Amino acid sequence: MSREPAIRISRLAHAFTGTNNAGPTWALRDFSLDVAGGEFVCLIGPSGCGKSTVLNIIGGLLAPTAGDVLVKGRKIAGPSPADIAYVFQEGALFPWATVLENASMGLLFQDVPKQRREEIAQSALAAVGLTAFDDYFPGELSGGMKQRVALARALSVEADILLMDEPFAALDEQTRIVLGVDLSNLLGTRGKTIVFVTHSLSEAVFLADRVVVFTARPGSIKEIIAVDEPHPRRGEFMTSEKFNELRPRLFSLLHDEIKKAMSQQQLSASPAPPP
Amino acid sequence: MPDVASPLRGREKIAVRCTQVALAVGLLAAWHYATATKTVSSLMLPPPQDVVLQFIGILRAGTFWSDLAVTFQEIIVSFLIAAIAGVALGFAASRRRLDVQVFEPLLAALYAIPIIVIYPLYVLFFGLGPNSKIALGATTAFFPIALNTITGFAGVPRRLLDASRVMGASHWKMLRHVLIPAAFPLIVAGLRIGLILAFLSIIGGEMLASYRGIGRLIIDQAEAMNSARMYGYIVFLLILSLVLNALVFAAESWVSGRRRHRA
Amino acid sequence: MTDRKHVVMATFRRPGWLRLYYVLLFLLFWEVAARLYNDPLFFSPPSEAALALVTILSDGGVRHALAQALLEIVVAFLLSAALGIALGLLIGLSRFAYHTFFKLILILYGIPKITIFPLILLYFGIGAGTKIAFGFAHGVFPILEAVIAGVQSQDAGLVKAANAMGAKRRHFFRWVIFPQLVPGLFTGMRLGMVGVLLGVILAELYVSYFGIGYYTTRFSQNFEPAKLFALVGILAAMAIALNETLRRLEIHFTRWSVSTLGSA
Repeated sequence: MSREPAIRISRLAHAFTGTNNAGPTWALRDFSLDVAGGEFVCLIGPSGCGKSTVLNIIGGLLAPTAGDVLVKGRKIAGPSPADIAYVFQEGALFPWATVLENASMGLLFQDVPKQRREEIAQSALAAVGLTAFDDYFPGELSGGMKQRVALARALSVEADILLMDEPFAALDEQTRIVLGVDLSNLLGTRGKTIVFVTHSLSEAVFLADRVVVFTARPGSIKEIIAVDEPHPRRGEFMTSEKFNELRPRLFSLLHDEIKKAMSQQQLSASPAPPP
Repeated sequence: MPDVASPLRGREKIAVRCTQVALAVGLLAAWHYATATKTVSSLMLPPPQDVVLQFIGILRAGTFWSDLAVTFQEIIVSFLIAAIAGVALGFAASRRRLDVQVFEPLLAALYAIPIIVIYPLYVLFFGLGPNSKIALGATTAFFPIALNTITGFAGVPRRLLDASRVMGASHWKMLRHVLIPAAFPLIVAGLRIGLILAFLSIIGGEMLASYRGIGRLIIDQAEAMNSARMYGYIVFLLILSLVLNALVFAAESWVSGRRRHRA
Repeated sequence: MTDRKHVVMATFRRPGWLRLYYVLLFLLFWEVAARLYNDPLFFSPPSEAALALVTILSDGGVRHALAQALLEIVVAFLLSAALGIALGLLIGLSRFAYHTFFKLILILYGIPKITIFPLILLYFGIGAGTKIAFGFAHGVFPILEAVIAGVQSQDAGLVKAANAMGAKRRHFFRWVIFPQLVPGLFTGMRLGMVGVLLGVILAELYVSYFGIGYYTTRFSQNFEPAKLFALVGILAAMAIALNETLRRLEIHFTRWSVSTLGSA
């Protein structure tokens, strides 16, 4: 394949400075990954393994200690709102703005005039099924609806790349499944590139084209599992044979890393030498 | 564990209301009786009728207007000084976490000192005119405004700021669309507290050392032992403070209501 | 965009040192401004105020006035606390008392006490009584309100558990009600202390025949700003010390409370 990857991550490493002069904590170590355009990649791993750090670096919120990230061939030097949209775990909606205003925030920050903003935001809200609620405030919505608004906000900026940091983690199981199916439907049609962080094994297998399994901190790639099933995926996929073979494989890969991460929490920071 | 605060049911409601009315009536009756039978010197406690008469007399004579104007001017000017300085400095101190950690405890510790303690210094420097009161009011109101502003701006959830940065917001856009709306309720609350504190400290300052003002009027009566008239002015001051509080709360609601909350 | 974090944080960037630095900077600014303005009758630089501190403290009369004021503050505060807690418990635990009196208390709390200052002056004269009474009037309401609120907001789950374990009434008070009361009570007491300080000092300043008010009047009329600064400084330091004591006590008694963790 001669096509440029949408995201090329090369030998990324990151250390956080410790408090109380305890020395730096290496969150990420020698992490490299190519994400093709239109691909859905899931990052999964134990707590503290650096998966959110990777997302923050791609999103331009954090400058890595070592290594670099190329997005569409250009090096990252800060947030790139035209190319990358980010959905956070808690939604990060503005409580004082209506659903419509929230959905059009990204466009407002890019100086899109008001009428055009609202048009685009309305169609994004329609895509997530919230047209009837455009006048509501986030405080009046359920958790699932709030995340839909966050998704609409990300869709409205029409960026090719979507970063999602455990967006469904705060929701109950049923809502997660529904939203997962919706996400798959939505993106099957729009051809976005997605990097999705999750703790949920089912979610990872259900949504991803490739699942990247992290080691415990300092994180790097343990293994990548490919899920060969076209998008949009239907709910039935969750009970298929393929699914029921992949999920346990994923679990056994994670199992040791999770145990390692839990014992790490009892020890102080474990610095590792940079590569 | 008794369930104390839940709303009253029928019979309880009657019992409570009766007691409250009985207490109020009883107090009034005792007051009248005590003064009528001269058990209490009318110097200490004038008869209620006298107080009412004096109060009406005060309103009729209208001599209070010039002092009220002085007090009012002192309150407004001191509040404006405190508001501008407090919000500006509060914002500046909220920008870096280190600054917040340095200045917020400092301001909080100073807030605990009754500013009236500095008043003699202001009187020495500014004299007995309105400026010493304005300085007192401004200093008193500064602290709650600055503290609330710091908390308001520094307390904007990190995630909101991250989301805005990712969406490409410039510094100015961030300030206008994220920081100010987020900090707004706290800042307004701080301004409200500041205004009330300015009012109270200015009245106190006028009582302690002043040529003019409502506080001065009242203390004059106390020193001249015109108890009935003094009580009359106290009622006047009470009504004034009620009006001020009502205005401030109305202003706060109007300003917050512009955010179009639905029931 | 550089976000490089330093591996070792320099000691002088700690907030405590920076605060000291800013305070010293302020004193320096004051010193220079005072020298430039150079009107020794109305304004004094901190260096002279510091010297005057020694002078006035060697005056027995000043020491007595300060001690008297401190006594009044402590008495007013203890009265406020005692009455606030006692009445607060009575009203908070009785359905009838709560509904009859709570609104009244809120109204009284909302009335600016300065309006009754002339009244108190008339009744108690210019002695210690006025100062204690005025301090008390300011200090009792926050404590009363905090106790009533604290008694109302008991964790129902804890109450159920204690009941199920067969707790007697005194057990309830000692192990369920009081401990939950403590954080809110201390907040109320801190507000109360600020109020008491305000009330007592205001009353002291008013009376110019003796006490603090006598000295503030004297130093003002004799155009001795340095001594006035020094006296005010002592009072401010007293206020800070009292507040700090309460704060330490609060931290000690609420070590278990999640809301105060990290507020030290």
